Amino acid sequence: MSVTVVPGTGAARRLLRNIGFVVGATIVGVTLIVAILAPWITPYDPFAVDLVHRLVPPSFMEDGTPANFLGTDQLGRDYLSRLIYGARISMIIGIATVITSGIIGTTLGILGGFYGGRMDDVVMFLITARLSIPVVLVALAVAGLLGSSFILVILVLGLLLWDRFAVVARSTTMQIRTLDYVSAAWCAGSSQASVLLREILPNIATHLAVVATLEMALAILLEAALSFLGLGVPAPLPSWGLMIAEAKEYMFFTPWVILVPGIALFVLVLGVNLLGDALRDLLGTDLNR
Amino acid sequence: MSDIPAIEVRGLRRVFDVRQGLFAKPRQVVAVDDVSFSVPAGSVLGIVGESGCGKTTLARMILGLLPPSSGDVLIDGQRLGDLDRRARARLIQPVFQDPFSSLNPRRRVRDIVAMPLVAQGNIAGDEVKRRVGEALERVGLSAEQGSRYPSQLSGGQRQRVAIARALVLRPRIVVCDEPTSALDVSVQAQILNLLAELRKDLGLTYLFISHNLAVVEHVASEVAVMYLGRIVERNESEALFAHPQHPYTRALLDSVLTPEPGLGVPDVGLGDTMPDPANIPPGCRFHPRCPLAFERCSHETPKLTPNEAGFVECLLAEE
Amino acid sequence: MSALLDVRNLRVTFGGTAAVRGASLTVEKGETHCLVGESGCGKSVTALALMGLLARGGKREADALSFAGQDIRNLGERDMSRLRGDRMAMIVQEPMTSLNPADTVGSQLTEVLRRHRGASRAQAVDRAAELLGRVGITAPGLRLGQYPHQLSGGLRQRVMIAMALMCDPELLIADEPTTALDVTVQAQILRLLAELQAEFGLGILLITHDLGVVARIADRVSVMYAGEVVESAPTAELFAAPQHPYTRGLLTCVPVPGKVKRGEPLGSIPGVVPRIPPGFVGCSFRDRCAYAHAACKHDIPRQHAGPDHEALCTLPPGWTDRAAA
Repeated sequence: MSVTVVPGTGAARRLLRNIGFVVGATIVGVTLIVAILAPWITPYDPFAVDLVHRLVPPSFMEDGTPANFLGTDQLGRDYLSRLIYGARISMIIGIATVITSGIIGTTLGILGGFYGGRMDDVVMFLITARLSIPVVLVALAVAGLLGSSFILVILVLGLLLWDRFAVVARSTTMQIRTLDYVSAAWCAGSSQASVLLREILPNIATHLAVVATLEMALAILLEAALSFLGLGVPAPLPSWGLMIAEAKEYMFFTPWVILVPGIALFVLVLGVNLLGDALRDLLGTDLNR
Repeated sequence: MSDIPAIEVRGLRRVFDVRQGLFAKPRQVVAVDDVSFSVPAGSVLGIVGESGCGKTTLARMILGLLPPSSGDVLIDGQRLGDLDRRARARLIQPVFQDPFSSLNPRRRVRDIVAMPLVAQGNIAGDEVKRRVGEALERVGLSAEQGSRYPSQLSGGQRQRVAIARALVLRPRIVVCDEPTSALDVSVQAQILNLLAELRKDLGLTYLFISHNLAVVEHVASEVAVMYLGRIVERNESEALFAHPQHPYTRALLDSVLTPEPGLGVPDVGLGDTMPDPANIPPGCRFHPRCPLAFERCSHETPKLTPNEAGFVECLLAEE
Repeated sequence: MSALLDVRNLRVTFGGTAAVRGASLTVEKGETHCLVGESGCGKSVTALALMGLLARGGKREADALSFAGQDIRNLGERDMSRLRGDRMAMIVQEPMTSLNPADTVGSQLTEVLRRHRGASRAQAVDRAAELLGRVGITAPGLRLGQYPHQLSGGLRQRVMIAMALMCDPELLIADEPTTALDVTVQAQILRLLAELQAEFGLGILLITHDLGVVARIADRVSVMYAGEVVESAPTAELFAAPQHPYTRGLLTCVPVPGKVKRGEPLGSIPGVVPRIPPGFVGCSFRDRCAYAHAACKHDIPRQHAGPDHEALCTLPPGWTDRAAA
């Protein structure tokens, strides 16, 4: 039995039937919108210190006030506002890292997979070398030498997380370059650039999209970890990792201060991963035709 | 028609290094071994042989997809290596076996067919559009089918797209590598008829590669039989099918199962040793499987013996 | 005495889609029955349905489905798996998909016998070596210790046949057993099947798209189109006097060396195989048929053109003689 797959409409319908995709896309979509609209939807300035109202619990808890829905932190800053700005930082880090590492990794991977031989040996060596560099230690060294800053975090992650892009781009390119439609493109007189951009890239793009979601989740978690260690985004920027770090002294008395950014981090990473899984499932059925 | 052959191949040879392990010495596999032939303009040369005989490697070298280890390919009198990619594309085009992997799944049919025109770089958009429409119509596809993706078409329709793509530049030569092997019989007949009609109307030259002798007999004016990288017999189609001279050709012909009930399954008598291109036997390369082999075959390499329109490479024919 | 395999009006559906809409066939002991058709006509699904190996979601119904006199319609999975590989065996197009790449040929062959018959290891090895020799493999002892990837396609198919024969089956279902092979090897394998059949009195249901194979090996042929058996006849009769227009069309499509002149077009069937919607009535071939008329939109009679020759068509039996005359 042959089932014809209609690209576009059929794929979209199958995606919408996938619960993981719907949940993941909703989480990521909402976070993205919130991050973009942050300056307009936050009830307070996330940096405004109010030492009179410190560690006010969320409004739905005992002693909470309706003025601060998620309460305030140890400096009396509105927790909801900080959380929303934190989403902004997470999304910027995630997307910027994926773009930087995606460009580096995909370029290297396609070059290695396409040309093979010496070029491939070089790419494989770079991948192996990259895999033996511990990301956290590099971040530590960079933070020690240059101090911590938002841009540095993006650069460190973007320049170090390209390995999976390279591996996937390389292996899929190798498969596709032997297919007859690539041969046909050569015979048609197409240039190398045109074969790479029109024949190969569109056909590895879906694989790369899956990698992108994995890398985005990883980058968000790493940023949180680095900020928690004090090596990432510097205070007073409201990174979720930093919020957890600042909250850890109070967690035994007011556990919600650590729970709120912790849950936000968990939900966002879960959403990104669900999205990636759904894409991979869709790809799987796509490749079986 | 000019006297210059459409395709001329001189002493073509291709060796692959097969790495068996990180430190093992690479083994040499001779896929095509000193092959020479020419195809007159307007004719159809059929190449037959079993899988692994080197026929696809030969086709890829003629298409310029694979550089030969030694030897020359001349297309319309010009060395393939001297042609730039655009000039080559205007002369020679392929039709591949599997219509599922020969079309880019992410492009629409009309963009696939337009690709050779676009690659020329100097054809205006309107002209491209017009010629794509013409080519699609020529192969029996509607304009509406042009806006679909390959996965929305049947196997036969996809093969029509591949043929349209091959013809859109109006080349002189088309290399068909098993163009109907992946298709159902009723569709195979449609595609073979289409190819025959196009050849007649456009004066094309075909290099037609197939493992199916019945199909080759139907389309080819001359036939070359390949075995382990060499052409062991070449002749006019009628002569070759009427009196095959090489025992391998005879075995191939015998094993064709024509739809004639009551004849039973023939005994081709080739034994169960399979040809291995990495391990070519000395003497005549066919002798371990040959039902007529005699003592000299195992150490003496047969020479070419001319016949009506070609040659045969067998010690029996030398006598 | 009833037939070895008796299938009447087999229907298979996947979800709402009908893959097989009415296949009736019988295989006698010692007979080769060929089921021929183009891709997507439901011939492979029929084979899987008979073996009880339909993919998940596949539903099988039949008016009768019996093997050696036993109704196997309601047989549980456990009883079916006892039959499979023992009294009924199957070989498929690509042997690599049914051979375990991580296990030697020998242990896969012996496992069949040990599982179904409780044979000892030594007995099983003897039997395996004997059968490998029987299917034309030289040096069987050596092959037993090899892995599937070390064998050529032809050898693998021989191993598959040997494996199918380990328990002396009564019925062999072969789904395109030679399609992936070279012509010379195909002839050898088919010859082997014919010999083994004569020797062991096997009933063979051979599924193929190749009319050449059918002509040379079948005793009886059933032609399948869009999920239905549209014509069934003894081989010689089917090729000499095909009744169904589809069968006739199919036969003209095949180039026959020495018969069709070079340069002359082959016969062909216009159009493509249609999608059959649920609730479809009438002849599924009518849109491609040159002889279609109004009656083809209603129920199609199963007509007899000979004592053993049936066709699902509205045209009167023997119409072809008059058409030719």
